Amino acid sequence: MTVSEELVNKTNPIVPPEEITTKDLAKSWFRWWYANEIPHSFDRMIAPSLLWALMPVLRKLYKDKQHLKEAYERHAQFYNTQAIWGGGTILGITISLEEARAKELADGSADPDSEESGIINATKVGLMGPLAGIGDAIDSGTVQYILLAIFLPWAQAGNGLGALIPWVAFVALTYTYGFYFVKLGHRLGRAAVSEIVGGRNIKRIINGLSVLGIFMMGILAASYVKVESGLKWNISGKEFVLQKIFDQILPGLLPLLTVLGVYWYFSKKGLKITQALIGMSVILGVLAGVGIL
Amino acid sequence: MGEISATQAALIALWVTVVQARALGYSTLMLRFSPMMTGLVVGLVLGNVPLAMTITAAIQLIYMGMIAPGGAMPSEPAVATAVAVPVAMLAGLAPTEAIVVAVPVGLLGSYIYSFRFFINSFIVRLMDKYAAETNDKGLTFAIIILPIAVSTILFFPLLFVGLYAGAPVIAAFFSQLSGGIVFHVLGVVGGGLAALGIALIMKVIGKTQLIVFFLLAYFMAVSLKSLGINTVTYAIIGGIIAYLYTICANENIER
Repeated sequence: MTVSEELVNKTNPIVPPEEITTKDLAKSWFRWWYANEIPHSFDRMIAPSLLWALMPVLRKLYKDKQHLKEAYERHAQFYNTQAIWGGGTILGITISLEEARAKELADGSADPDSEESGIINATKVGLMGPLAGIGDAIDSGTVQYILLAIFLPWAQAGNGLGALIPWVAFVALTYTYGFYFVKLGHRLGRAAVSEIVGGRNIKRIINGLSVLGIFMMGILAASYVKVESGLKWNISGKEFVLQKIFDQILPGLLPLLTVLGVYWYFSKKGLKITQALIGMSVILGVLAGVGIL
Repeated sequence: MGEISATQAALIALWVTVVQARALGYSTLMLRFSPMMTGLVVGLVLGNVPLAMTITAAIQLIYMGMIAPGGAMPSEPAVATAVAVPVAMLAGLAPTEAIVVAVPVGLLGSYIYSFRFFINSFIVRLMDKYAAETNDKGLTFAIIILPIAVSTILFFPLLFVGLYAGAPVIAAFFSQLSGGIVFHVLGVVGGGLAALGIALIMKVIGKTQLIVFFLLAYFMAVSLKSLGINTVTYAIIGGIIAYLYTICANENIER
């Protein structure tokens, strides 16, 4: 902005921003939740979704055309995070930061040319990684699969509710606590993050969910991983069935070794899923082909 | 041996397009990561929900633990399911055999999904233009409508043709093999691959020390199999154990 424009602003005071209500937060949250992954691109990731979510709020805050344009362009920059833990919290924090800036611009206490607007983007970019890590681990990695694991036997028995219930439950849960994060972020500003990342209660919840998630995988592995040896041989007329011997040593030995083997592979080589998939198919295929499995 | 009508193929292709375009907001996360709802839709469209669910449950196991840090995944379970379940239903494959159809289709799906990001990168230029103009209608067009249209063009025709023309051919191919050594191999591979999904989710959830809870649950379930305890009950037991664990862990911190 040029000096002359600034003078115009000083002589014609800007219309002050409107108040941001819980209703506005709810609207922005829905817009963020909905747009989420739709415009995902390689260079900006999901920045467009955040811009789309903030548009109505920014219009209420910035009555000056130039300021509104700057705000729109600010949120068109690179941004990527998990939708609920990162997206919800950062949406709330961003709205509170934009509110503060709009008020300062309106009463003339902020220099429009200052670097201060950079702080909003720096905050977003600084928080998006750590919060996304938590969110991916909890929502995608744990809550989702606990729900799926509980109802998987229903599906296996042919019941469609085994698919429907986990989905509805997951959507309802994440939408609800996501909106809680929006309100938390809006109320506490940047302090909300230490509440989430450092809070003892959240740590307890994460620990508890991890234990439950791992536990449910044990239950699933016992019923659904099928590795059996079909090998048998005759020694002086007596038939030996290899699987029977395994069952006498420890029931469920082979499936357990298979799961732990893959787990060990991921620990050593990192999460190379496609390689593990191909490797396992080849190993199991060969063993089955020669009649060991 | 059945067939898929054009309407049925179109309905399934439409569902997968909506999921892969992410056009139902964050609710598409589980729709994309898990095959379950796609399996239900396939069952409803093809008129056999119980069979579709049984097959889908087996496919779900290999896709346990799929998460997409940053957005990309090595496989697209919804795409895989939309093709593998109809093929398995037409060919009369066992659930574990259907997995072998699902895996390659899922890999192919992930290339198309990445291609979506590539095309969206061009649409972003349009967004920049409308953002500078503070044109809200234009932004909705560039951020929501256009990306959904692009995904529709990428996914719908491919899936429609794949289902309408491809599925019966793949199914016929598989039913010719029926009963032989190939089927034995496919079944074993499918049954064992479930271990992959479970190991992956254990790795994703984290800490090696928590494996004791996996072992506890595993041996409980193996040795109590004859009692027929359902998973909801197991989840409650797991929840209680998790609660006790957090109390103990918490006291250790406080001390």
